Amino acid sequence: MSQPGAAAESVIDIRNLTKVYRDFWGRKKVRAVNALTLDVKKGEVFGLLGPNGSGKTTTLKMLLGLLFPTEGEITILGKSASDVSKNERIGYLPEESYLYRFLNAEETLDFYGRLFNMSAAKRRERTEMLLDLVKISHARKRQLKEYSKGMTRRIGLAQALINDPDLVLLDEPTSGLDPLGNRDMKDLILDLKKQGKTVLMCSHLLGDVQDVCDRIAILYGGELKVLGRVDELLRSQDSTQILSSKLSDGAIKEIEAVLKKHGASMQKVDHPTANLEDLFLKTVQESRERPGRRFTVDDQPKSPPAKV
Amino acid sequence: MNFDLPAVNLPYAITQWAGFFLGFLIVVGIVSLLTSLSVYGTRGVAALAGGVVQGIIDLFSLSPRRLSALASLTFKEAVRRKALLVFVVFAVLFMFAGWFLTGGVETQKDFQAKVYISFALRTMTWLLLPLILLLSCWGIPEDIRQRSLHTVVTKPARRLEVVLGRMIGFGMIGTLILAVMGAVGYIWIIRQVPASEQHQLICRDPLFGKLEFLDREGGKGLGVNVGDRLDFRSFIEGATKARAIWTIENVNESILHSNNCFQLESRFEAFRTHKGDFKRTTYFQYTLANPDNPAINVPLSLIKIDEFRNNANFVTVGPTIQLADAEGKPLSNAAPPAEANKDFFKDLVSKDGKIQVQVACIDPGQYVGMSRVDFFFRKPDKPFAVGYAKSLIGIESLLLLVVFLGVAASTFVKGPVATFLTACIILVGMFGQGFMDELIKAPEIGGFTGGGVFESVYRIVTHMNPTTELPAGPAFFIMQWVDYLLKLYLWSVRYYIPNCEHFMRMPEFVANGFDVLWAESLLPAMLVTLGFFIPCVFIGYFSLQSRELESK
Repeated sequence: MSQPGAAAESVIDIRNLTKVYRDFWGRKKVRAVNALTLDVKKGEVFGLLGPNGSGKTTTLKMLLGLLFPTEGEITILGKSASDVSKNERIGYLPEESYLYRFLNAEETLDFYGRLFNMSAAKRRERTEMLLDLVKISHARKRQLKEYSKGMTRRIGLAQALINDPDLVLLDEPTSGLDPLGNRDMKDLILDLKKQGKTVLMCSHLLGDVQDVCDRIAILYGGELKVLGRVDELLRSQDSTQILSSKLSDGAIKEIEAVLKKHGASMQKVDHPTANLEDLFLKTVQESRERPGRRFTVDDQPKSPPAKV
Repeated sequence: MNFDLPAVNLPYAITQWAGFFLGFLIVVGIVSLLTSLSVYGTRGVAALAGGVVQGIIDLFSLSPRRLSALASLTFKEAVRRKALLVFVVFAVLFMFAGWFLTGGVETQKDFQAKVYISFALRTMTWLLLPLILLLSCWGIPEDIRQRSLHTVVTKPARRLEVVLGRMIGFGMIGTLILAVMGAVGYIWIIRQVPASEQHQLICRDPLFGKLEFLDREGGKGLGVNVGDRLDFRSFIEGATKARAIWTIENVNESILHSNNCFQLESRFEAFRTHKGDFKRTTYFQYTLANPDNPAINVPLSLIKIDEFRNNANFVTVGPTIQLADAEGKPLSNAAPPAEANKDFFKDLVSKDGKIQVQVACIDPGQYVGMSRVDFFFRKPDKPFAVGYAKSLIGIESLLLLVVFLGVAASTFVKGPVATFLTACIILVGMFGQGFMDELIKAPEIGGFTGGGVFESVYRIVTHMNPTTELPAGPAFFIMQWVDYLLKLYLWSVRYYIPNCEHFMRMPEFVANGFDVLWAESLLPAMLVTLGFFIPCVFIGYFSLQSRELESK
């Protein structure tokens, strides 16, 4: 597995990329991306963040050749964005799963497999594997128009992986997914990273990005505002966090005294809380293991967490 | 509709196509260059050159597997979106058509088969045309609107493959539906035509010739115009030296029927005047002659022809022919048999396979009218199914043409506009060719007199007669030049609009009991379709290639 780093090979290289949308008469309407320069290293999970209209999807579509840059250059897997042969090694999950709704899951994967010129045996093998991976084997014969949004995202992801791509481009990969699907998607992204694949994802769900991305870029108004490793960008250099087993009140007071002695102050002491996603997943897991169990008054927390 | 059709000259047709295609490429190249320069500045030249190179690369990177994937996707899409419901409409029409068609023609049994054949073939054409038009014009725009095309073009699929795959897929749908409809229609016709009239279901294979006229003095002429509204026929005057002379080529033993005889078939028209013996029925006479030596000739028996009748005449002649006198009476009793008989192939057909058939009107003061296709050697008939199948191929060619045009149009405009555009091209090609021909024809060969648009307006405003010469002067000179350029433009448009009359003619051949002529009808129709295939693929590919699929 290759590790991302400064010396790693660039899979995507964007230089001074600008996109101006024009109206019918050729007049400038909006500058969606402005002089964007960044690169994505091999083997990393890269997040492209920004509010709606910040230019992240436009950037992604220029990478794929769906839109043409007004200025600037894109090199993707060593080729120009307009070179169709680059697509041999790319998997793309669009923002919405724009698939053919009259096909069923098997036909969908078979169709996209044929676009990669894969043999029938190979297509069958990949179809089986991917239907299991995205957990929709049970609905393989149903037309996509009968799928829920979550299932549609799953089959969309499966089609993006049909060619076992080196580079996976995901546009809002977790949108429309329930927490279980969300967790599966994030696990899958991390799994792709473990396999040495490069992932570029666009999202405005910051928690998801934080969970899986090695590096991020934040766009605003079509311009690059922040670029760097997630852990470095989020690390606070002005405070220190210590996690210990449960302490008594006396022990806490003693620690506070030690901190004062060293010229520091205790800002916050509390019991760590699990995040809502963890709680939800735990509840679902327990419900599966113990069907029929219901919420009772005794299950309520006895007292609110201590705060200092 | 004109049935007197020239045989297609393949080398000329290919040369003409290549010339027009080259002209089209030059115009497209200039427009593309100007557009690229205006959008990308000087980089536009490189962008355009890159696009052309990419097109060539894409052409040689076509993958049969991807093409079949896209074609079968198109097929499944049409099937699952209930395109086959057209069968229901077809079935309903055929179930009840018999009620309405039988009653009206019971008294005209001669036309019974014709009515059924016309109905079946026209129903297929006019049910399938709108269906294929809508499918082919909406496929790609819907793909773009729903963005499902994003998931295709972000795979290694070339946009050329998208265009070709769509064309193949819609072609497959049209072919399948037409094949089923054709089979059902055939069974319906066979069952619907009464047993007593089944002989009408024939497929005559005519051998037409070239027609010339001699005037009443025996000199070359054009025949007489008797003021008949059907002016395609010219008339010869009776009891004069006026003749209608067909020279027929490729006369060989293929014209012989199973009884070792050959058949002459004609449909002439009588025009009687009060000058002649009005009580006597008009007669005409065939004379078979060797074109190399017209002195070797054989007059055949006289044939009666009525006015205002369907004068279909069938003459069966053996390979050894008896001479007849001027009255058409056999000479065999009066002359030795060796001189009275002529061997058809040995004596009358020239070495290069030609024969002359002269037609004379016998009665003074009366006229017999004919056009080139009114007379032919009737080769042994083919099964009705042969002509029927050929006309289905003609409908198939039309459907493919609609698919090519529709898919090409749908790559640069949205579905409704593409539908309108394609429908206009097809309809003008079907019904406007004659009108356009009239407009661009020079006055010397029968075109409109009075000049072009501006000259005509000037003449109308100034009440000037169309035949009066325009005054000299720079304004008139410029006006005539502008008219000339407009006419040139119209001339080019006329050749860039497919001639769909070929497609419309084929059912008429079959309904009238003829085989669909290969060189005169079926081949030109197929060439029209083929001729539009490459330009349509070219337009479709470059439109899609230069188009931002996600443009806001």
